[in-house]
Amino acid sequence: MNRVLTLAAYNVSTLLSERTWFFLAWALFGLQIAVYGSLMSKLVSTAVPNYLFFYAIGLMVITVFDSGADVGRHFVEHAHEGELPYFLSLPVSRGGFLAAQAIYGVANTMIKVLPPLLGVLWFVGDLTIQGAVFALISMFLLGLGITGIMVSMSFIAFKSVDIYSAFLAGLSALIVRFSTVFYPLIFMPSFYSPISVLSPLTYGADLTRWVLGFDPNFLLNPIIAAAVVTGVAVGTLSLSAKIVDKVIEGVKAA
Amino acid sequence: MFAVETLNLAKRYGKTDALRGLNFTVNEGEIMVILGPNGSGKTTLLMILCTILKPTSGTAKVVGIDVVEEGTKVREVMGIAFQEARGFWRHKPSSILRFHASMFDIDPAKRQDLIERTMKDLELWESRDKMFMHLSGGQAKRLETAKVLIQQPKLAIFDEPTSQVDLRGKRKIWDKIRELRDQGSTIIVATNEVREAEYLADRVTILHEGNRVVCDTIPKLKDAIAGGDIVEVDFEDPVPEKLVQDLNGLGGEVSLLPESNQLRAKVSKAEDWVPRMTSASYVAGAKIASIRITEPSLDDVFLHFTGKALADQP
Repeated sequence: MNRVLTLAAYNVSTLLSERTWFFLAWALFGLQIAVYGSLMSKLVSTAVPNYLFFYAIGLMVITVFDSGADVGRHFVEHAHEGELPYFLSLPVSRGGFLAAQAIYGVANTMIKVLPPLLGVLWFVGDLTIQGAVFALISMFLLGLGITGIMVSMSFIAFKSVDIYSAFLAGLSALIVRFSTVFYPLIFMPSFYSPISVLSPLTYGADLTRWVLGFDPNFLLNPIIAAAVVTGVAVGTLSLSAKIVDKVIEGVKAA
Repeated sequence: MFAVETLNLAKRYGKTDALRGLNFTVNEGEIMVILGPNGSGKTTLLMILCTILKPTSGTAKVVGIDVVEEGTKVREVMGIAFQEARGFWRHKPSSILRFHASMFDIDPAKRQDLIERTMKDLELWESRDKMFMHLSGGQAKRLETAKVLIQQPKLAIFDEPTSQVDLRGKRKIWDKIRELRDQGSTIIVATNEVREAEYLADRVTILHEGNRVVCDTIPKLKDAIAGGDIVEVDFEDPVPEKLVQDLNGLGGEVSLLPESNQLRAKVSKAEDWVPRMTSASYVAGAKIASIRITEPSLDDVFLHFTGKALADQP
């Protein structure tokens, strides 16, 4: 366990050495909320009360998704920059290696999401410790699920980085658009909503909104949402553990 | 028990066989050099031994531990210096070594001294605060070696440890590898550099197209080439014809050079042939002025066993 934490600490220290990206991410979040979010909120305020808050949570869920994708990309970069063989030669189990990646992913997500979350809650006058903690737990579980999906898919990158990049672009386009991150399920047309319930972001976004006290009439059942988010996290992490153990090899050499 | 043992080890990449049923052993406490051209399967073998690659079939054990069944245990007893030192772009050599030492539970009280000493030994100390991406190719290779040296594993693997390293640096790395062996580690060095193999090897395994061609000590490999040793003898006077006939009877192939007081003999073991030649010369009354013995090189050994020169390989 100590070695897993050492490995995770090393990854996180690498992450912290690139802190400019965090400031950039927070600034972009603020800009997006201040300009696009506030204007959109005025447009749709008659249909969805407090749409700015709805939108802000959706944007945070997208940040969680992007952070999960970052872990997959980080994993792939390890492989292509030559670090993966080294990490695979260290005395930690493959499960431990994956756990270290997951800790890195969680740290990455929390750093990117926590300041925006506190800022939004403060702005809407709903900043409580309880709300912030439950929202973080919800997004943490969603982040683990996305990390699991991305690491599971990263084995594609061992065949071709181009295919992996194309796959990620396509997946994020679908998984974000066909979800409730920007619009409630009850407003979606009938051909659209059945696809949206397949996106894990739908459940993560609605669960986070629910724990922050958003009107439940616009959200999925929170028990189902919590079950799906937890199930996706456990399922995809188990799958990625198997893939890391059985499929991924650090380098191919003759 | 062998430090390393493989049985019918095979690795296939798509339609390419990198290893074809390899049987290979390394004794505890020896330096085994794996010699072979690019593409012979050296790196694939090393990657399987350190559990990064999985064999397609066959078994491999490190100090009796199966690399597939108990990979984590294998990784606890081995260390590898990779052929290409990459990654860690934004980290400094000293922090990379500190991380490596902590992963292998090097005593924290001794860690800093050990790292400093190793970096000084390998002439990396001046570059300790440079980012990895600013190191030269040779410095990056020395850093790879330093990782294994501070770890002092039971099995240390070096994959082409001195490629990109200057001559002085090569000698330093070689001496440190031998020192590591003297401290009790078993060493595997993969290389296609004959001089490296001759400097380091207790035994050499020649790999060719994923197969083990031969494995032995360097003197025995050289002796295995019939007529591989060349002995040139200068006499003070022209050589009697009778002496040439007598020497031809000793085995090998003896010829008289045009100068008539010089002989060239191609023999299997010069150390056996030369005393017999000097006795015969004494009996024949021929006075010897000088003797030069030339052994075959490992290049010649490789050529002998594979039919191809190391340098000709792709």
